Amino acid sequence: MDLHADHRAPQGLTRRDVLRAIAAGLVIGTGLVVVPKRYFRLPQQAQTFVAKADHYQLDIAGTLYRGMMELGVSTTEIHGKRILLKPNLVETASEAPHINTHPLVLRGAIEAFLRLGAAAVMVAEGPGHRRDTLAVYEESGLADVLSEDRIKFHDLNYIAGYELPNAGAKTTMKTLTFPALFQEVDWIVSMAKMKTHHWTGATLSMKNLFGVMPGRYYGWPKNVLHKAGVQSSILDINATLKPHFAIVDGIIGMEGDGPIMGDPKQAGVLVLGRNLPAVDATCCRVMGIDPYQVSYLEQADKWLGPIGDGSIDQRGESIASVRTNFKLIETIPAQQGIRLT
Amino acid sequence: MNSSLRVDSRTALLRRALAEGGFSGRPGGTYQVDSTAWSILALSACDGPPQPLDQARHLLMREQLSDGRLCVGKAHPASFWPTSLAILSWQDSEACREAQQRAVRFLLDTTGLHFPRTPDLPSAHDTMLKGWPWVGETHSWVEPTAMGVIALRAVGHGQHDRVKEAVRMVLDRQLPHGGWNYGNALVFGTELRPMPESTGAALAGLAGLVERDAVRASLAYLQHEVTRLRTPISLGWSLLGLAAWQQSPSNAAILAERCLANQERYGEYETSALCLLVLGGLATETDGRSPLISASVNKGLAAALQ
Repeated sequence: MDLHADHRAPQGLTRRDVLRAIAAGLVIGTGLVVVPKRYFRLPQQAQTFVAKADHYQLDIAGTLYRGMMELGVSTTEIHGKRILLKPNLVETASEAPHINTHPLVLRGAIEAFLRLGAAAVMVAEGPGHRRDTLAVYEESGLADVLSEDRIKFHDLNYIAGYELPNAGAKTTMKTLTFPALFQEVDWIVSMAKMKTHHWTGATLSMKNLFGVMPGRYYGWPKNVLHKAGVQSSILDINATLKPHFAIVDGIIGMEGDGPIMGDPKQAGVLVLGRNLPAVDATCCRVMGIDPYQVSYLEQADKWLGPIGDGSIDQRGESIASVRTNFKLIETIPAQQGIRLT
Repeated sequence: MNSSLRVDSRTALLRRALAEGGFSGRPGGTYQVDSTAWSILALSACDGPPQPLDQARHLLMREQLSDGRLCVGKAHPASFWPTSLAILSWQDSEACREAQQRAVRFLLDTTGLHFPRTPDLPSAHDTMLKGWPWVGETHSWVEPTAMGVIALRAVGHGQHDRVKEAVRMVLDRQLPHGGWNYGNALVFGTELRPMPESTGAALAGLAGLVERDAVRASLAYLQHEVTRLRTPISLGWSLLGLAAWQQSPSNAAILAERCLANQERYGEYETSALCLLVLGGLATETDGRSPLISASVNKGLAAALQ
């Protein structure tokens, strides 16, 4: 794999190119509206943005773009950067498309980052259950979207790794091995699915990063991380990798026995932000889950990011206007007693 | 597998042969142990030239740790899942016999992490049945256990207690409605979904060791799935698994050819994936003999099974 290659094939004008050309105008227009609002707010520890999105045929790119602008992500910041989007691709089943981040949310994020001037956007994932990453890529519908958009997909499970000292030290793992590809990118964006989870209560942007750990070093499932402790591993990965941004697909999420056997749940939202614990805490509140009852979030609080609603500058829709309780299963220990009252 | 597929795949794999020996994971990439072992297997099965294969076998011997294991890299000694692959890649090589025996000893002496069931355990399988893990100090899973069984059978240990227990382990992880996934059949009382690659690997490992009735539902699942598969790991393992039970689909060559052509869509396949596709394509032509196991060993196995 050529890590230095331009990830967009030079084959004529694409719809991406057209959108980029339109982008310049939008940047100016939207920026003028947004900036004064930010200045009138008190400083907060983290900001999140919640957008309503009832279905996947809406203008997701525009929604994400507006959200990013609202959060202060500017063309100056993104211009020339290489952006890696990490979706949640676990496994596929024709009757359960709600397992994985929807391809059209990926497309929306790609468009939004290109509008902001990114030099390249790529998508990468290393599924934890399936050895055949390409099968998940194909059957999830993502291959169709990325092929059409000429966006490169990377299989993280078979990529050579590089080691970093474990900055979290919540587990006994001395180092963590990440894909070497990450040394070639500027921003890592966790693009999670809004789901309940039978080991952790909820799986959102922080837990999604299990998928960056290459299977060739961590196995299928990534049992090294389970053995070390799921909640602690989530914290170690996030503390060490320091991802830059999160977008959570809550248009149709999963409730009950997630992350793969649960039922579809329409929450009708996209949640985004720079701080992953804050984003995940916001998602929990949307789902009717108390983030302080989700162990890894409670541990992340005031360390990797704030999870208290008083510490999160909430933009876009209010939680109350979008909250929809996700079904919890009382026989699953991780889902017991986590309902937000 | 038609001759053009055989030739194209051989050419593609030989382009990944490195001047210093061994094979890369991608064209233009760097040396990888697992890619090297898979390439030896695939090229041996489709009449590849001996020189790069001998060189690759010797390189694998240099990668072997003193206890017999082979790892994805020397900095990752716990990731020893390529050991089974190395045992297979050293078949019929007198020069590698001692290294192969040490790898076999490592495999026989090593298990996954096993523990007694407790009432609160959400999974349903027998946690004490020993197989092999992907990575040390973790639980045993389906594919590395199937590979361990295939490797040990290839060197004459088909009746070893470890193989017998591994067979029981794989059967125990079979999903109630057929097929296997990575190795969890039920969690919190819910049956999980099967996966073609895991099912193919399990069936390839169990062929000749269990009665057909024990895997009938899994064979039915895979026969139903195989014609829709478009990607090399799923299709390769599925063809290997079905061929091991003499149930190859009639259009296997077309499926393999279509999958090979899909590199236009996905980019060039990672080496182990390409090798699995080649071996799966070959499996449909070998009359039930596994292309993972050398001809001489296959002959002995066939005799033993009669």
